[in-house]
Amino acid sequence: MHNPYKPIPMRIARTVVETDDQSLKSFELVFEREADREKFFAKYRPGQFCQLSIFGKGEAPFGVASAAWEGDFVRFTINKIGVFTRAIHKMKSGDAISMRGPLGNGFPIEDWKGSNILIIGGGYAFTTLFALAQHLLAPEIRSQYNDLTVIYGAREPGLFLYKEEIETWYKRDDINLYQAIDRPVEGWSHFVGYVPTVTKEIAPSAENTVSFVCGPPVMIKFTLPVLDELGFPPERIYTSLEKRMKCGIGKCGRCNVGHKYICKDGPVFTFAELRELPADL
Amino acid sequence: MYKVLPKTDLPKLIGRWMEQATVYAPVRQGDFTKFEPLSDPAQADLYYAANTRYPPKSLFLPQSEVMFRVKDGEFESTEDEVSSRVILGIHSCDTRALQLLDGVFLTGDYQDPYWAKKREQTTLVVLGCADPCETCFCTSVGSGPFDKRGADVMLIDIGDEYVADVRNEKGQALFGHLPDASRKQIDKSRQVQAAAAAGMKKPFETEGIKDKLYSLFDSDFWPKIQQSCLGCGACTFLCPTCYCFDIVDEAQRNERVRNWDTCMFRIYSQEASGHNPRPTNTERVRQRIMHKYAYFVELYDEIGCTGCGRCVRYCPVDLDIRQIIRSAQAWEES
Ligand SMILES: Cc1cc2nc3c(=O)[nH]c(=O)nc-3n(C[C@H](O)[C@H](O)[C@H](O)COP(=O)(O)OP(=O)(O)OC[C@H]3O[C@@H](n4cnc5c(N)ncnc54)[C@H](O)[C@@H]3O)c2cc1C
Ligand code: SF4
Ligand code: SF4
Ligand code: FES
Repeated sequence: MHNPYKPIPMRIARTVVETDDQSLKSFELVFEREADREKFFAKYRPGQFCQLSIFGKGEAPFGVASAAWEGDFVRFTINKIGVFTRAIHKMKSGDAISMRGPLGNGFPIEDWKGSNILIIGGGYAFTTLFALAQHLLAPEIRSQYNDLTVIYGAREPGLFLYKEEIETWYKRDDINLYQAIDRPVEGWSHFVGYVPTVTKEIAPSAENTVSFVCGPPVMIKFTLPVLDELGFPPERIYTSLEKRMKCGIGKCGRCNVGHKYICKDGPVFTFAELRELPADL
Repeated sequence: MYKVLPKTDLPKLIGRWMEQATVYAPVRQGDFTKFEPLSDPAQADLYYAANTRYPPKSLFLPQSEVMFRVKDGEFESTEDEVSSRVILGIHSCDTRALQLLDGVFLTGDYQDPYWAKKREQTTLVVLGCADPCETCFCTSVGSGPFDKRGADVMLIDIGDEYVADVRNEKGQALFGHLPDASRKQIDKSRQVQAAAAAGMKKPFETEGIKDKLYSLFDSDFWPKIQQSCLGCGACTFLCPTCYCFDIVDEAQRNERVRNWDTCMFRIYSQEASGHNPRPTNTERVRQRIMHKYAYFVELYDEIGCTGCGRCVRYCPVDLDIRQIIRSAQAWEES
């Protein structure tokens, strides 16, 4: 019988310090066994997560921050806050690490072919949204969707993730990118203001558009009314939840909201779905 | 198929099983009984009143269980390290609990191999309760003292003998060689069963309980009923249908283990950001009750409580789940 708790061996191929304050680092992991790689990519879609483990430091869930076409690696962008995350921040390319996944439902992007896509992200919750945008930018996939708009906010310029890749988006004409920082900074030529305000300013059309919104709770709280005003019904606003998790497969009981388990029924839900659940968030 | 076993022959039968399997039965430990592997058939105490304090779920989901031995970064799983077992004298409520947990562990996209393997390797010789005790309420939650669901064999005490209702091949392997029960003995066993269920009180009605609890989610009901709760978690650790577990690494032993956990602790739902969706006892008591009487019903169409009475009996402040459900049903929002 397959053991879904059993991690597979991976290796760190590359690490990137993402933010000026060094708190966020990306890790690109490669597979030690070809069969594991095939299994992973047969199942993976943006919005899913994996359980990473370093024996002795335990396991922790992280969203996948890369699209399949980017290469044979899986990227995670990790905030240094506790036991596991401190340990992985000390690791270097070539080091061994274990992984389970992909887990969870991911963004049901295939359901929205032919639609406009609006991505709104704030802070380091941008990880899986970046994977989604990257996925959509693959040539054979990009043509299946209409306009692609990304609104991405951070406190200050140094806190944006994936700076190099994102810079290349400005040069493309098949993605509309709006980056915003909280307060003006010398040399900053993009938007200034909080994500909800910037969203209101840009006022993307809700017509035939589906939105994906991830960020800190306060950003979500103030962005939802803006989207509502613009005419987005809750069925067309997706978000990804972060609950404390252990097993990641709906067995350990840890991550429930009402009768849903965020690890297996989520982490991606529409706000229409969330409204049906008890407010246990 | 009904077999008959004189009580005096039970030790011999247990001895026979012990040649091929590990046999677990209630064994007296001071004021309590607990399911233990027998080293001598005489240790089995089938007259244990009420239920064992420590729930037999531990034989399938141990309080602490090694999941992996870790060597040079390789995780070697331990699920196959279980051989043939017989559990003798488990009551219907605890057997029901195993079935309810099968829903959690064996259905959906992922199956739990540790649970599956132990279930597969185990024969359940269930002992019906001829004399349910004061804190039992199985008949209120869709079961009964002689509920045969999940039993490989059901033993019914008719005085000097047990009538054994052998329900499948697993049961057949243990009881097949015994003589058939007579018509009279079978009739007697039916009377015992009917009398036991008829004698039980129904402390509450479950009709509509799921929707009622959903409607009370934000109500003053929860702050009120939780007031005496200490948050000690005893009710959940002893509950046969509570299954939450934590996964931790025991680095010195090179093991990844899982341990019982409880939604009654604050840290259980503490998130990385510092946010906690269940910061006080109110949310935690609500989670415990709603998991069993609303969410479980939503998912499996069954109440996730078997009426075993452990949480009633062992709560240090006498918080009584029967009273909570009764109050919920009667609660009118002011
Ligand atoms: C689906 C999902 C996707 C995630 N994606 C990312 C990501 O892309 N990047 C990222 O940096 N973080 C992500 N997280 C959060 C990440 O899992 C936690 O930051 C991590 O588990 C903390 O581990 P630690 O050992 O360093 O912290 P600990 O030392 O265990 O604890 C530090 C703090 O984190 C809390 N905590 C512990 N374990 C968890 C847990 N499993 N989930 C939430 N809080 C926890 C503790 O209660 C404590 O407050 C994600 C979480 C989920 C559920
Ligand atoms: S909630 Fe109480 S009565 Fe119900 S199964 Fe659990 S311990 Fe037994
Ligand atoms: S046993 Fe009683 S006091 Fe302890 S957590 Fe359960 S309800 Fe609260
Ligand atoms: S993390 Fe175990 S049930 Fe969701």
